Amino acid sequence: MRAKKRVVTYGKAVPPSRGATSGPAPKTRRTPTVRTIRSAIVEPRPAPPPGPASPAARPVGPPVAGPARSTVDLSVDLGRGLVLRNPILVASGTFGYGVEYADVVDIQRIGAICCKGTTLRPRQGNRPPRVTETPGGMLNSIGLQNPGVDAVLERYASQWAGWKVPVIVNVAGESIEDYVGVVRKLDLVPGIAGVELNISCPNVGKGGLQFAIDQEAAAAVTRAVRRATELPLIVKLSPNVADIRPIAAAIAAAGADALSAVNTLSGMALRADRTGPFLGNTYGGLSGPAIKPVALRIVYEVAQVVGIPVIAIGGVTGLDDVLDYLAAGAVAVQVGTAIFADPTLPVRLVDQLAAECGRRGLASYGPLIGTALPTRPNAASAKGVEYRP
Amino acid sequence: MQLVDAELQESRQVLPGQWLQQYHAPALAVSARAGQFVHVRTGDCSGLVLRRPFTINTADPATGAISLHFREVGRGTAWLTRLRPGERIDMLGPLGQGFQVDSRSRHLLLVAGGLGIADLRLLVDEALRDGRQVVLLYGCRDASEVYPSSLLPDEVEYLVATDDGSVGHRGFVTDLVLDYEAWADQAFACGPLPMLRTLAGLVAGRKGRLGVATLGRKRGGGRPVPLGSPAARKKAFLQVAMEQNMGCAVGACLGCVIWGVNGPQRVCREGPVFAFDEIDWEATAGAGTHKR
Ligand SMILES: Cc1cc2nc3c(=O)[nH]c(=O)nc-3n(C[C@H](O)[C@H](O)[C@H](O)COP(=O)(O)OP(=O)(O)OC[C@H]3O[C@@H](n4cnc5c(N)ncnc54)[C@H](O)[C@@H]3O)c2cc1C
Ligand SMILES: Cc1cc2nc3c(=O)[nH]c(=O)nc-3n(C[C@H](O)[C@H](O)[C@H](O)COP(=O)(O)O)c2cc1C
Ligand code: FES
Repeated sequence: MRAKKRVVTYGKAVPPSRGATSGPAPKTRRTPTVRTIRSAIVEPRPAPPPGPASPAARPVGPPVAGPARSTVDLSVDLGRGLVLRNPILVASGTFGYGVEYADVVDIQRIGAICCKGTTLRPRQGNRPPRVTETPGGMLNSIGLQNPGVDAVLERYASQWAGWKVPVIVNVAGESIEDYVGVVRKLDLVPGIAGVELNISCPNVGKGGLQFAIDQEAAAAVTRAVRRATELPLIVKLSPNVADIRPIAAAIAAAGADALSAVNTLSGMALRADRTGPFLGNTYGGLSGPAIKPVALRIVYEVAQVVGIPVIAIGGVTGLDDVLDYLAAGAVAVQVGTAIFADPTLPVRLVDQLAAECGRRGLASYGPLIGTALPTRPNAASAKGVEYRP
Repeated sequence: MQLVDAELQESRQVLPGQWLQQYHAPALAVSARAGQFVHVRTGDCSGLVLRRPFTINTADPATGAISLHFREVGRGTAWLTRLRPGERIDMLGPLGQGFQVDSRSRHLLLVAGGLGIADLRLLVDEALRDGRQVVLLYGCRDASEVYPSSLLPDEVEYLVATDDGSVGHRGFVTDLVLDYEAWADQAFACGPLPMLRTLAGLVAGRKGRLGVATLGRKRGGGRPVPLGSPAARKKAFLQVAMEQNMGCAVGACLGCVIWGVNGPQRVCREGPVFAFDEIDWEATAGAGTHKR
């Protein structure tokens, strides 16, 4: 049976006025940052400490005498009842439907699996070649090859329903109707723990302009999906924008339960003989360690302007990356490209994070979240784009 | 499929720029079938982000040894050549669908272009073990690249074609096929894409009058089998091992597809071995990294 329950009574309200504005978040508003985000961490199950709600208030014990690994609570609430046993997820497109790696990975120990991008109708994807290695990363141009939502449900939903690990379906589309159509089919299906909207797709209705780079379209698709389902709703941000903050705020205001950041960076590679682009699709998405500084910057910015949980994605290859993203305000991380080289990494990260908490004498990892965020309300990162080249 | 800690036992250059490495990896040695491959982690993943795929060149269940035969072409293969005996590396495998030999096939024709030999080498051993006759046709540029016959069992009939005629037939290895197509019950090939395409064209032109397909017809034709199924592959006169850049190598990322007549096919999962008639040769030309 699933640990996850679908409850609509998730208490954390999104401040109503936020994000409806355009441009960076209002300077006058002290962003919720650390405190609100910390509340996403589920309190340690055996009687939460009295007094201040934040586990940060717990006395820090001597390093060696900290709680044993098994007593560290890694659970995290991503909203609307989507409670994960740990904050290490696997990223969409890098872990298939969860079944492919099952021979070599104890998949039930992963926090959650984000499955391959799923569309209303089957898609054959882009012309090959579709992947190539680049310095510290890789480019991919899969083109959302998938058998369509009906086939995905038929093939996998009943398996997923028997898993301990929640499966979050990554949803893609070319129109708001596409997204809503997919999500309607997912709604109330046992085995679907939540949806993650991949909005880095061309919006046919707006001449191919990506939803993710258009604040109104991003908010509109979020709102439409929100109306169509009670499933926990994560919206995945694209890094390919000048300023992510108004977009993130608009998506939060439109009813997303959580944000994930980031999708791949747009890039390209040439054939060895330089007679043309290497990828069959000319352009591809860059992922892997090379994008981590960009993703870290975006998580840092987003965490300061929204009150909903942020899930960091981009170049996680070890515990240090997880700790960096937590410090920048994320409550969870997804591991993507690194899985290809190191399939057991996500499961090891769960153990390593618990051990790290134990070493620091922490009962949960909550105190690790947001430690690098500015404490001043008008820190440069929350203001404008002045630091950009 | 397993993650295996493989220990390098022996590493030597068998041809200019080409290496033969033997690893102790019992789990792979007992389970590997001809045509399957391993996905090898080369160095630390923050530098080289992806693993490298290599065909299992030989596998000896008795000693627990497998071998890889590869050409040094870039950073990953260069890293491999620097390994010293005793060092251990991480291999994921065995992966993919290997060659399917029909139980009725007595005469196997193997066609290798250059390093394509690595894909066929284990098939030689398996076929001889099963009492089949093997003819190996090998094509390369010149005498310096000819695969040493000392690396082959004596029972194999081994013919060479070189582009410049410095050894054996002068011209393409595919020229030699004509002499053997009537003899062969099945053919298996790996090599540069133009070679495979020529072979596929040749076989397609014979419209099923070759090999086990003929045997099947004599016995009443048999039931039609869906393209791409193991049964259809087993019946196919020609099977080819394909190549594509890979991400996961376990079927998860859809990065390694080539175009088949029924749409995209994952080389790591549906392949790397395909029946010749599964592939859309037109769409596949120039759409891969096939450079062996
Ligand atoms: C199923 C399969 C089996 C293979 N078996 C063998 C073998 O037995 N012997 C052998 O010499 N080679 C084999 N290859 C090709 C081998 O994988 C590449 O030569 C190798 O990956 C090159 O790595 P590199 O870092 O040295 O080269 P680089 O050019 O630096 O590699 C850059 C990236 O491109 C990829 N790449 C480059 N060339 C190829 C290629 N031809 N095919 C797939 N990916 C490539 C690399 O894996 C890496 O991700 C096989 C390929 C496949 C798909
Ligand atoms: C091969 C591949 C396929 C991907 N497919 C999807 C997808 O279908 N939907 C999606 O939202 N993101 C997809 N992504 C993006 C990843 O989920 C992730 O956001 C990105 O790779 C950055 O994380 P990483 O650096 O850890 O890989 C894909 C990435 C890769 C490498
Ligand atoms: S390499 Fe990932 S699907 Fe084949």
